[in-house]
Amino acid sequence: MAAEVKPYQRVYKQSEAEEEDPRQHLMLDPRPREEMNHMVMEAMTTTSRRYWIIVGALAVAVAVLLFGAWGNMIFTGMGMAGIRRPVFWGVFIVTFVFWIGISHAGTFVSAILRVFKAEFRRPFTRAAELMTTFGLAAGALYPLIHLGRVWVFYWMIPYPNSRWLWPNFRSALVWDFLAITTYLLSSTIYLYLPLIPDVAMARDRSTGWRHTLYKLLALGFRGTEAEWTRIRKAINIFAFAIIPVMFSVHTIVSWDFASTKVVGWQSTIFGPYFIIGAILSGVSAVITILFVLRYTLKNMDYFIREEHFDALGLLVLIFSMAWAYFFYNEYLLHWYGGGTVLKQLLTLHASGPSAWVWYLMLACNVAVPWLTLWNKKLRRTPWAIFIVSILINVGMYAERYTIIPLTLGHQRFPFDWGEYTPRLTEISIALGTLCLFVLLYLLASRLIPLIPVWEVQEGQESHRLRKVGKTQVPSVSELE
Amino acid sequence: MPEDPVHIALFEEDRIDHAAEALDRLRALGIRDKDMSVLSGVPYSDKILGRPMAWTRVPIIALAGAGVGFAASLALILIANRQYPLVVGGFPYVAIPTIIPVTFELTMLGLLISTFLGVFVEMISPTYGPKAYHPKISDGYIGIVFTCPPKLDQPMHAALTELGAELVHQSEVQP
Repeated sequence: MAAEVKPYQRVYKQSEAEEEDPRQHLMLDPRPREEMNHMVMEAMTTTSRRYWIIVGALAVAVAVLLFGAWGNMIFTGMGMAGIRRPVFWGVFIVTFVFWIGISHAGTFVSAILRVFKAEFRRPFTRAAELMTTFGLAAGALYPLIHLGRVWVFYWMIPYPNSRWLWPNFRSALVWDFLAITTYLLSSTIYLYLPLIPDVAMARDRSTGWRHTLYKLLALGFRGTEAEWTRIRKAINIFAFAIIPVMFSVHTIVSWDFASTKVVGWQSTIFGPYFIIGAILSGVSAVITILFVLRYTLKNMDYFIREEHFDALGLLVLIFSMAWAYFFYNEYLLHWYGGGTVLKQLLTLHASGPSAWVWYLMLACNVAVPWLTLWNKKLRRTPWAIFIVSILINVGMYAERYTIIPLTLGHQRFPFDWGEYTPRLTEISIALGTLCLFVLLYLLASRLIPLIPVWEVQEGQESHRLRKVGKTQVPSVSELE
Repeated sequence: MPEDPVHIALFEEDRIDHAAEALDRLRALGIRDKDMSVLSGVPYSDKILGRPMAWTRVPIIALAGAGVGFAASLALILIANRQYPLVVGGFPYVAIPTIIPVTFELTMLGLLISTFLGVFVEMISPTYGPKAYHPKISDGYIGIVFTCPPKLDQPMHAALTELGAELVHQSEVQP
């Protein structure tokens, strides 16, 4: 019997039809620098009436929901919050951990992907770095809010004083203060350094107060070899140095819990577990922001493309798996080796009155990404991956809620068990910081170029299509 | 003696080869590397343009800052803990495991802040060599800024225009 031979030509044609258009990749679809500058400047300077209405509404929301509620709580007392025996850490600390987690996005996207030369990062590094700075600014308010007597916050600062008070440098809470301060300062500088060439570009194309502002921020940048050398050198130092700082920040946040005697918190894997969760929520938040930027700012569909959602979606899927691994590790070993109290705590998490929070966490952090993000078509559909990214952050908030108030409410003595219910003040302050974050982002989007144009151009210059056999493949050269 | 006038030769962004060639021709005319400077909208390595290596003190300043941060952290922990002794749970005043987070954070803080200060100080410090600027640089043009004695005007002009340069004479434009 003669064997049937499949004609080679047919197979070749089929693969040719499947070949994607290289111009769908930003790096392979270059435009003149002048045009890209114009697009970014137009996105930055064009404001509509609707924009100012939203900014005004957010400013009022921040004033009322955040500062109004906080001021009222300072005036009336901490009793306005739902934190009371046995749960003394509630929504304030949950939201604090949430924002610190979000702030990992910038460093991850900008520093780690820069170190590993992941080219898809180029157009959205600044958007992610801004998230870090504003996420930290929102998160850093919570230790002050939670303090109650906020007017004595300076007692945390080490300086010789007549009170004979000195911070306890053996406490994870003081380490937290140091770590967040370090991270906030360094991530703000890390946002600024790659911005210098772009504000110089904005300086050359603006007049009036904008010109004065950009001239000041550009530090006289002209693009000389010496200026590029020092900026590149500084960015490289930052990219390598800020990664361990990022790891230390969320590790120390986890030590706030893990170094206590609370059942369910004492764990040696809390550090990496928190970091993975932070990166998962941070990268998801970058997707959320990119979706909003793409559909609200002019010309952003050129810079932010489906390929970027695709790449970030894959990262989210990987980090969701890593998060599930740590969660399972933590759960299983507590279940096997934990004492009676720990087992009861786990049972209460899964079947108690607040079990829906626990299931919401698992559904959003595991089921949703695993069932959706394996699909390339879905990852490349911006609105679909936007919804997934929102759900993941809902899941990560539920995770922190499970770890903090739901765990504190069921400790060693059953007579001391209690349910925690967030009060209006706490919900108002939490929503207020969300409004503050969005407001700062909206204002920044009209003040600084959100797209690092020089990095995009550098990437486009280093990418070329190279013919290999029957097809063309992208190749990258080092221009640094 | 009056200084030689400053010129800028502008090349379009896709003409990096021509810019490198122009630098060679200017050298051949007797213009020294220290009298030339290349401006660009994206960073190019020294090798691409055949220029002497640009160097910076930023890494040294960063290391010095890290040292200051480390020393400050030790001062805070070791000296201050003796001045303000605080006994918690029977732990010693100073224990190595609890020192590490504080020294790490302050060392990194010193490193990162001094890196920025290094960039800041170098950016605002006076520089040697020809100073000029053209807004087209941020539009992706590659600019060669150089000083050229008037007697070389004609050969310089011929060499650069042949390579497609757009010349801005006696430029005094500052950003």
